Order: sequence, then structure tokens, then C-alpha cells
Amino acid sequence: MLGLIQEYHLQKKKSNLLKRKKHIETVETNAYWARVSREFKKNRLAVWSLRFLYILLFIAVFADFLANEKPIYCKVGGETYFPVIKAYGVELGLDEWPKDLATANWYELDYEAVLWAPIPYSAKTIDFKNNHYRSPFGPQRVKSNKFWHWLGTDELGHDIAAGMISGTRTAMLVGIIAMTIATILGIFFGALAGFWGDDRFKVSRLRFCLNILAIPIGFFYGFKARPLAWYEGNFGSELFKSLGILLLTFLLFNGIAFLFERAKRGGKIITIPMDLLVMRFIEIMNSIPALLLLLSIVAIINDQSIIYVMIIIGFIRWTSIARFIRSELLRVRRLEYIEAAEALGLSKWKTLFRHAIPNALTPVLISISFGIAGAILLEAFFSFLGITNGDVTWGSILKTARRYPSAWWLAVLPGAAIFMTVTIFNLIGDGLSNAMNPKKVK
Amino acid sequence: MAPGDPVEQYEDVPIYGSKAQRIRSYKRTAQKLGVDRPLFYFQFSSAAYPDTLYRVTNYYERETIKRLIARYGNWELIQDYWHKIHEMEGKIEKLPDSLDRNAVIKLRQNTTDLFVFHKPQKIDKAFKNINAVLDNKALYSAIYKNQKNLADAYQKVVSEPSNYKHYLPKFAWHGLDNQYHIWFSNFFTGHFGYSYQDNQKIETKIWSHLRWTLLLNILALLIVFSISIPIGVYSAVYQDSWLDRWGSLGLFMLYSLPSFWIATLLIIFFTTPEYGMDWFPTYGLGDVSENDSFWDIFWMRAYHLVLPVFCMSYASLAFVSRQMRGGMIEVFQQDYIRTARAKGLLEKLVIWKHTFRNALFPIITLVASIFPGLLAGSLVIEVIFSIPGMGKLTIDAIYARDWPVVYTILMFSALMTMIGILIADLLYAWADPRVSFAKKEK
Repeated sequence: MLGLIQEYHLQKKKSNLLKRKKHIETVETNAYWARVSREFKKNRLAVWSLRFLYILLFIAVFADFLANEKPIYCKVGGETYFPVIKAYGVELGLDEWPKDLATANWYELDYEAVLWAPIPYSAKTIDFKNNHYRSPFGPQRVKSNKFWHWLGTDELGHDIAAGMISGTRTAMLVGIIAMTIATILGIFFGALAGFWGDDRFKVSRLRFCLNILAIPIGFFYGFKARPLAWYEGNFGSELFKSLGILLLTFLLFNGIAFLFERAKRGGKIITIPMDLLVMRFIEIMNSIPALLLLLSIVAIINDQSIIYVMIIIGFIRWTSIARFIRSELLRVRRLEYIEAAEALGLSKWKTLFRHAIPNALTPVLISISFGIAGAILLEAFFSFLGITNGDVTWGSILKTARRYPSAWWLAVLPGAAIFMTVTIFNLIGDGLSNAMNPKKVK
Repeated sequence: MAPGDPVEQYEDVPIYGSKAQRIRSYKRTAQKLGVDRPLFYFQFSSAAYPDTLYRVTNYYERETIKRLIARYGNWELIQDYWHKIHEMEGKIEKLPDSLDRNAVIKLRQNTTDLFVFHKPQKIDKAFKNINAVLDNKALYSAIYKNQKNLADAYQKVVSEPSNYKHYLPKFAWHGLDNQYHIWFSNFFTGHFGYSYQDNQKIETKIWSHLRWTLLLNILALLIVFSISIPIGVYSAVYQDSWLDRWGSLGLFMLYSLPSFWIATLLIIFFTTPEYGMDWFPTYGLGDVSENDSFWDIFWMRAYHLVLPVFCMSYASLAFVSRQMRGGMIEVFQQDYIRTARAKGLLEKLVIWKHTFRNALFPIITLVASIFPGLLAGSLVIEVIFSIPGMGKLTIDAIYARDWPVVYTILMFSALMTMIGILIADLLYAWADPRVSFAKKEK
């Protein structure tokens, strides 16, 4: 309460107090975080999982420097190159390979000096001399130990160690992209349901009608009015544009409603049972079997790129986050400081974003962490079924294992990687939920 | 919505025979599948699209027309152009045999290409080819009139586009005679339509697959509950003993093991002679003939089902026993258990009569919530072990783009989920009289 009144005054005038308030806030949030992290650190398994996660993230970020068919540094014909970094530039269209390097086989160049990546193969490099399932321990036809396939090869001669590193990157990307989408959607819907409940979402009749009207109009101008762009353009960018138009329509209509409301011509105020609507929506989402839905959508899109799988997982998995946020906001919105914020005349939206959501956000970490585990598992299963293709992933390596039972390394390693990654996210989630459980704090 | 032409997928339209015959057979199939009707009760589109487009029965023609409209927006002119192509095609059919055969074939090919071409470059090229063929004097005199009409009609389409129409919304009402209404009402009267793959009725297809899924799941459920409940009770009674602690960790690991990995490992290590442990069959359910005795069939099936049932049960085994343990521990802390112990009741009675029965409530509801997950759960296992159950059917149908089957299964599993949630809610109220769904009075 005190902090808030202070804040109110500060916003009006005094700038020197602003610093103090920030100081107070940081101390307060630090105290909460300090408590959570103290509890978290007591859980040895969770702490080790977190360390392991750092390693995985490191591998994912620096995948191109850990396994690459191009050397990290080399000197050819008196010229010095950093081919791995240069490859990024070429991909972005900023740089070009010199003529003699553009089509060169990197393994057969005459280097004056060279520094290879720790694993001198890319995930898709085909080593013809070592094709047909070379065991990690068996005989391999390599120039030197530097080029040994530490985790063996598959039928065509792909290096499995490089594949595992590429798989790490995919797994981390799946977790991050899917859960970013799920978190944004989850927070939005959870906040709608939890903060406003059934009886607090009040809008003027005009705004309500305009928003209802905005749905077909936004849909029409976003999706229906540009058929040529949809037929010929890139699916992802067209979807982005269409959603942008939809959003703009809503903004425009709400702007009109705002103007009318200011002129006191908004009509009667009506109450919308947000909680009811959102919870029914969540129930409908949950009653659709996720795996089957995902399979059908991927088949209908007709594009087997993994990025769509990530996005769709995000669009399916938001419900648990929304439930978390909702139940947390139901608790938070009855607390005194929310009442105080409203009493001081802050708008509902400002109260929600500045005061309610930040305090309801921490438990979502638990849900996100379990969600990442689920998303990684789902993606691995998809690659295992061979529904997505393109990048080498853990699932796709595991798939090849069934063709040749003698190649145990193809079955054991990627599966173990999936298992460990899923387990560490589960353990982190477990640790977080224990650390945040107020019953446990003494 | 779904890609591909259902009619062509369903039945190979005869390539031989006259054009009229082919068209008739195509129309008959389209009628049987119900795709010659509008998609939905109403159509909300731009004014550029006619509301009678569904009358163009041929899928590819319809798609080409849609794209032409997307590009030029002038339906009347496109319609005229389309008639001219048909006229030209009819004329080519009737050309006398005395003409140069190669030229006629080339002419026909380029004309029918116009049915699928929608990009200006391609259409121009087809026209160029037609003109090249018409160097032949005899052919020219026979066909030049149609050719000229066609070229003029196309020129008109290109030169008089009306793209503004794309920005005018249009609403058209189709009535009850639409694909969705027919599918939906058939679904609820038990007619699910025909599979595109083998013309079989979907209900017979589903029933023949459903029994294996049911068998697998019932076996797995029996095993799960008969093992996990004693484990849960034991670990709760001897809480924090070393067996409980290590058991908990073990079960946690078991729960995180992805079942498709374990299944792959089991197949590789226990079903191939590679590692000297060729103990189980790899695929399927074994061959049985009608002359075999009941026990022969029984042992054959049992032998084939060991690995799949194990893979299906281990994860839920861990989950259910954790739930059981948690439930028992919570009940142990209740006052009435303390009372029971204080009055000197035998520990055995306290555990089985007072605690166990109360701790069983969450498990009862768990049974109901497992019920809808049956299908998705066995999908993985059925695919890996090639068991002809519902999961295998689903995946195969998705791969083959057999949409009627996919939609029916999706609809069924969504219904199952909702029924499962309902049953869980009802059981909860039945098992725990404190739960009530009547509205609380404030």
C-alpha cells in the first residue's frame, strides 16, 4: 500500500524519489527471487539439471562451430579465411565465396594452416569412405584420428556426432519457439479469464458490437481479399501480413469506439462473462487430441518443414499456461495492492500489466518448463515417424536405427539425448514448483 | 480444404473410353462422395468469386478457375474463356482421322493443358504451341475458328481485369444441401462415408481395427493398475525408507523414458539375432489359420503382445503409482487416521480400510481420464510394432490423405475425450460427497 501511494506521487513529480522507489522495488523482488533460488538450490537434482541445460544451450548456440565440414580458420593460397563465419555472411547474402572455394571439397584443399571444428563434419556431410554403418569402435577409413567418427556413421556415411549436435539445436529451438507462442497466448487468455472473471469485464454496447463486426471484416480483408498473394506468396509471410491486417482492423474499430465513448455516445454498459468464455474455449481445445490434430494439420499444410510443427505445438499447448495464469490472477486480483491501484484511479489495463501480471508470472515458469519437455518429446516423435523432414534431428536418427539392428549407436544415443533433455526440463520444473510452493518455505 | 482430388483418389477415372464416358464416371463418383455440393451452409467471400463455383465438378478445373479469378477478378469473362476451351476440346475430338495424327495429339495436349494452367507465362506458351501446330493447312482450316475465339476470350480476360471486386465482401446462402451438413448428419446417424483408399465403408474399417486397440489397452490398463496400486500403497506406508526413495527415483526415470525409444531399443536388442537375444517377434500379431486350436491362437497372440503391452504400460505404471502414493500420504495426515490409530485399530485395518479406500478416489477419476488417451497412447506402439489397430489406421490414413477416415477418427477421439471428462466429473462427485456441481449460494 505504502509503496503504491509513493509511486503515485512519484509519477506526478519528484524525480529523486523515483530512484528510491526503484530501489525498494528491486529489493522486494530480489527478496522473492532470493527465496525461490535459495529453495531451488537445495534441490541437488534440479541444480544439476540446470547446469546440464546450460551445456545444451551452449551446444545449440555454437553448433556450427562444434561440428562443421568447413574449417573454423584456414589459410589457402596465401589468403586467410574464417569459413564458418563467412558461411553466415554468404547465407545472408552479404558475402560471396571466392571462385576456387565455392565448389571446393573442403577436405581436399591444400591448406597452409588450418583449424578444424572439434567434429570436422556437418550433419549432412556424406563420408563415402565410411558409409554403411561404421561402428565408433570398429575400423574406419580416416586420414587421422582428427577425422574419426566418434559416434559412428549411418548408411550413407553421415557423422552421427554432427547429427546429434544439429539435433540439440533443433530440440532447443522447438522448446523456445513453441513455448514463446504458448506463453504469449496463455498469458493473454489467462489474464482475460482470471483478472476480469465473470463479472468485471464491462464494455459499452457500441464497442462490443464494433468488435463483433471487426471479426468478419478483419478476416475478409486479411485472408479473403488477397487470394493471389495467398496462392503465389510464401505461406509464412502471407500469414504474418494477414494477421497484421486483422489486428489493424481491431485497433481501428476500437479506436472508433474510444472516440464515441469519449463523446458519451457508447450506449449502455454490458458485462461479458470472460472467465466462462475462456474456460469453455480451453475445454474445447483440450478435447481435441493434440497428436492427431498436429498430424492432420501438417498433412494439410503440405509442408513438412519443422518450423510449422513448432508453431502448431505452440498453438496447442497454451491452455495449461492459461490455466496457471488464471488461477494465479484469481488470487492476485483480490490482494490489497490491486484494490489500491484501482482506488488510485489506474485503468484496468494498466493495473493488469503493471501490477497483476508481473506478480502472477513466476508460477508460469513451472508450466513453461514442463511444456518445453513435452514439446521436445512431440517433435522427436514426429521426426521419428518421418512426418517432418529436412534437418537432422534426434528423432530422425532414431528412425534410421530400425533399418539396421546391428548399429546400436543409432538407437541408443539419440534416444538417450531425448530422454536426458526431457528429464532435465521435468526436473527443473519439479524443482521450481517445490521452490515456489509457499507451504514448504519455513 | 484438404489437398488433392478426392474423386481421383477414390476411383481411378478410366483413361480409356470416350471423353463423355470419363466425365460421366467422374460425376458419378463425385456424387457418391458428395463433393459436388457447396462446402458449407453459407459462403463469405469476395464479390469476384461466383457462389456457383461448386458446379464445376472437376477438382483441377475448379482450382484453375479459382486462381484465374484471383489474378483477374472478372468471372464472367473467365467463364466465357472456359466455355471456349471446352468447345475447342470438343472440336478436336471430332476431327477426322485423315489429319496428321501427331499434330492432333499435340494440339489436344496443349488445349487440355489450358485446364490446369493459370500463370500467364504458361498459358502464353500453350497458345504459342497451338499456333505452331496450326501451320498445318488442313488442321488450320478445321480448327481456326475455335482457336481464334479462344485466343480472343483469353485476351479479353487479360485486358479487362476487375480486381476491385476482391475488396467487396459478398455473402451467399447455400441452404442445407451442403457437404458439411450431409457429413455431419450422416456422422450422427452412423454413416461415416467411404474410405478413399479401398472404397470400404469407414464403420467396418474402424470396427476391424478397434478390437486390437481395445485389447492392447485393456491388457495394459489391467497390468498398470494391478502393479502400481500395491507399489503406491507400499511406498506410502514405508515412506522415506530407502526402497521408497530409490523406487521413487526409478519410477520418475521410467516416466520420462520416451516410449518410442524404449520400443525401438526392445526391437533392436530382443527381436534380432544380432545380440544373441532373439526372444520375441518383431512385427505384427503372428499368422494364425482357422484350423488352429484356441490355445494355439492364444499363445501366438500373447507371444506377440508381450513387448507392445510392456511399452504401453510402463509409463502409466510410474504415473499411477506416484498418484497412489501421494493420495495415501495425504490421507495418512488426516485427523481420522490419527483417531483410528489412537483407538488401537490394527495397522492393517487402518491402511486398507480407512486410508486405502479414501486414497482410491483420485485413482477412480484417473481411470476416466486415461480412457480418452487410449487412442493416442497406443498410436506410437501400434506404428512401431505394426499392429493393425486404430493408431496404425490413423497414421496410414493421414499418409494416404484419406480424409474421411481421418475426420471420423478425429471426431471420435474428441467425443471420447469429452465423455471421459464428463465421466471423471461424475465419478468425482459420486466418490466424494463433498463435491457438488450445484451452484453455490453466496
